Amino acid sequence: MSDNATSLSASRTITRRQFTTAAAAGALVTTTGLPLRSARAATPLKLGVLLPRSGHLALIGQACQRGAEIGLPMLRDMGYSVELMNADTESNPDVGRTQAEKLIREGANMLMGCFDSATTLAVAGVAEQKGVPFVVNIASEPKLTEQGFKYVFRNFPSAGMLGKGGLLLYKDIFAATGVTPKTAVLLHINDSFGMAMLGGINALMPKLDMPFQIVETIAYDPKARDLSIEVAKAKAAKADFVMTVTRLNDAILLVREMVKQQVETMGIISPGAPGMYDKQFFKALGKYAEYCTTNVPWFDPKQEMAKTLEKTFEKAFPEESCDLNVGFTFEAVLIAADAHKRAGSNDPQALTEALRATNLSKRAMLGGAIKFEANGQNMNLISAAVQNLGGKPTVTLPAASAEAKPVFPMPPFKGRS
Amino acid sequence: MSALLQDRRAVLLLGLLAILALAPLAAGDYVLSILITVLLQAYLGMSWNVMMGFAGQFSLGHALYVGLGAYAGGALFVHYGTPPWIGALAGMAVSAAVGAVVGTLGFRFKVMGVYFALLTIAFAEFTRVLFDHWGWVGASSGLFLPPAPNNSPDNLWLLRGSTTMFYYVALAMAAGAFWFSRALLMRRIGFYWQAIREDQDAADALGIDVFKNKMIAVLISASMTSLGGVFLAFFNNNLYPESIFSMHRSIELMLGTIIGGIGTLFGPILGAVVLTALGEGLTILGAHIGIDGVKQIAYGICLMLILVLKPGGLWPWLRKAFRLEGDGR
Repeated sequence: MSDNATSLSASRTITRRQFTTAAAAGALVTTTGLPLRSARAATPLKLGVLLPRSGHLALIGQACQRGAEIGLPMLRDMGYSVELMNADTESNPDVGRTQAEKLIREGANMLMGCFDSATTLAVAGVAEQKGVPFVVNIASEPKLTEQGFKYVFRNFPSAGMLGKGGLLLYKDIFAATGVTPKTAVLLHINDSFGMAMLGGINALMPKLDMPFQIVETIAYDPKARDLSIEVAKAKAAKADFVMTVTRLNDAILLVREMVKQQVETMGIISPGAPGMYDKQFFKALGKYAEYCTTNVPWFDPKQEMAKTLEKTFEKAFPEESCDLNVGFTFEAVLIAADAHKRAGSNDPQALTEALRATNLSKRAMLGGAIKFEANGQNMNLISAAVQNLGGKPTVTLPAASAEAKPVFPMPPFKGRS
Repeated sequence: MSALLQDRRAVLLLGLLAILALAPLAAGDYVLSILITVLLQAYLGMSWNVMMGFAGQFSLGHALYVGLGAYAGGALFVHYGTPPWIGALAGMAVSAAVGAVVGTLGFRFKVMGVYFALLTIAFAEFTRVLFDHWGWVGASSGLFLPPAPNNSPDNLWLLRGSTTMFYYVALAMAAGAFWFSRALLMRRIGFYWQAIREDQDAADALGIDVFKNKMIAVLISASMTSLGGVFLAFFNNNLYPESIFSMHRSIELMLGTIIGGIGTLFGPILGAVVLTALGEGLTILGAHIGIDGVKQIAYGICLMLILVLKPGGLWPWLRKAFRLEGDGR
C-alpha cells in the first residue's frame, strides 16, 4: 500500500530541476526545431542491401556486394553517413521478397539491389506497398520504370537503352578506325538474357540503319561444355566479324575454340554482355583475350571518383574484377547516401523526395549527372566501347573519355606475341 | 479410445487453425510473409501428395502445373483485366487438360515409375521452352502484373493488396486443400488410390478401374497445383518461364511432403513448417557467420540427416511418438 502511495505521489510531484529541464527542452523544440532536424540528419541512413550472394547468381552478387562495401570509407570522407544492412536473396525472388520485408521490419530506411530483374521486381512490389524508397543498382527490365512505381529509382540503363547504346557504338568504332565491315555472325546464349538481347538486336538493327548485316545467328546453351560445332558454323558463315552475347564461361570456350579452329576475323565485339571484360577471361586466354570488345556502361576514366574507386578496389581485391557490377552498386549506395544527406531525415517520404531531386555530377560511371526522370529512370547513361588492351579492359570510345584508340580490325590470333 | 484420439487431433487442428487465423494481430509483415511461404508450400505439397502420396504416381515435373496456372491467371489479368479467380478456373482447366495428355500417354503406354517421372519432366521442360518463345505471355522477358499502389485498400476479388490479405488467402487455400485431401482419402476413390499405390496388378485383379482412377488423381492434382500457381503470380507480380517451370521448383514443391511423410495428411504441412523454419533459421545463422552459401550446405546436410534418420517422414514418426494413430494417417 505504502509503495503504491509513494509511487503515485512521485508521479504527481515535479521538482524545480525537472520543470526547468522540461521547459528548456520545450522552448528549444517550439522556437527553433533546428537542433532536432540536424540530430535526425546525423542518424546514419540504414540502407537494406539485397543481393544474390548465393545460388546461381552468387558470383555476380558477391561482386556487387564488394561494390557496396568498398566505397564506404570514400563516402564517409565525403560527409555521407550510411550503414549497410545486408541480406542474401539466394538468387530467388521469393527469398528476396521475404528478406525485403525483414530488412524493413529491422529498420531499413531505404532498400538497394537486387541485380536480377525477377527479384528486383518482387522487392519493388514490397517497397511500393510499404512506401520505402528503393534504389536499383543493376536490373535492366524495362517494366521496373514503366510500371508506375513511385518509390523505385534505377541508376542502371533499361534493356532498351543498353541495346541501343551498344549497337550505336559499332558505328562509332567503324567510324573511328575507318574500316566498316559488311557482314557479321551473331553467337548468343539462349537463356532469358540472351534471348532478350537477340530480340532487341533484331528489332534495332533496321531502325538504327546499321552498316552491316547479320548473316547467321547461332544460339547455344550458356552451360555448354563444347562449342566446336557452333564455332565451325560461324566459320562457315565467312562473316567479316563476330558479334557475341555471352556469359563468362562460354565466352572463354568460344574464343578458345575460335583460336583452335583458326577463325581469323576482323573483330569480336559484344553489344553488351558479361564475360569478355572479366579478369578470369584474361587469365584463361592470355594474349587471345586481347582486342575483344564489349559495348557496356562502364567507369568514366576521366572521373576522379572512378580512379579512386578502382585503386581502392585493386588494393583490397587484387584477384577480382573491378567491373560495372562494382561500379553501379557503388553508385547506388552513393545515390542513397546523397539523398539522405539532402533530406536531413530518415523519413521514407523525405528520402523519396530527395531521391527524386538527385543531381550528382561527381560520379564513377560514364554519362552526365545522375538525374531521375519522373518514372525513376536515370536519364544520363551512356555505354562505352571497352576493348581488352594490354591485359585490361580499356575505354576506347566515347572519344572524350577514351584511354586508348580502338583497334579494328584486330591482329590475327596466329602470330600474336 | 479411437474416438478420443480423433477428438484430440480435431482439437489440435482447430487450435492450430485459430492460432493461424489470429496471427496477423501479433505478427508483422515479415513473419506473415514467412507464414505465407509455409502455407503455400504446404498447399502445393498437398496437391502433389494426391498424385504421388495417395495414388502412387511419381511426378517430377509438377512445376508444369504451377506455371500453367500462374500464366493463365496472370496473362488473362494483364491482357483483359480478368479477375484471378476466373483466370484460376481457366488455369485449372488447362492444367487438367495437359495432365490428361500426360496421364493418357503415360498410363495407356504403361510408362511407369521413374519413366513416368521422366515423362513429366519432359512435359515441364517442353512447356518452359514454349513459353520462353511465346510473345503474348512476354516470352523469356517475363510477364508483369501491375503492383498494388502504396496504402491501397485490399481487393480480394482482384487479389491486389497487403501481405495480410495474401496471408488469409494462403491460409484458406491450405485449409481447403487439407479438408479436400481428407475428404478424398476417406471416400471410395481414396481407398482405390491406395490399393493402386500398393499393388497396381492386385488392384486391377480386384476389379478397380486402374486407368480411370489414376487419371482422376492426375486431373485433381494438376488442377489444385495450378491454383497455387495463380496465387504465386499475384503475390510476386512477375513471371519468368525459367523460374516458374524450373526443375528446382518441382523439387521444392515435393520436398516438404517427402520430409513430412508421403501419403499422409499432415506430412505436407509438417514438412513445409520444418523446411521453412530450417531455411529461415539457417539464413539468420548464415548472416551472423557472414559466409555466403553456408545456408545451402547446412540445409543439405539437415535434409540428408532427416531422410537418413526418418526415411518414412517426420509425421509418421511423430504420430507414433505422441500416439496420434487415429485412423492410421
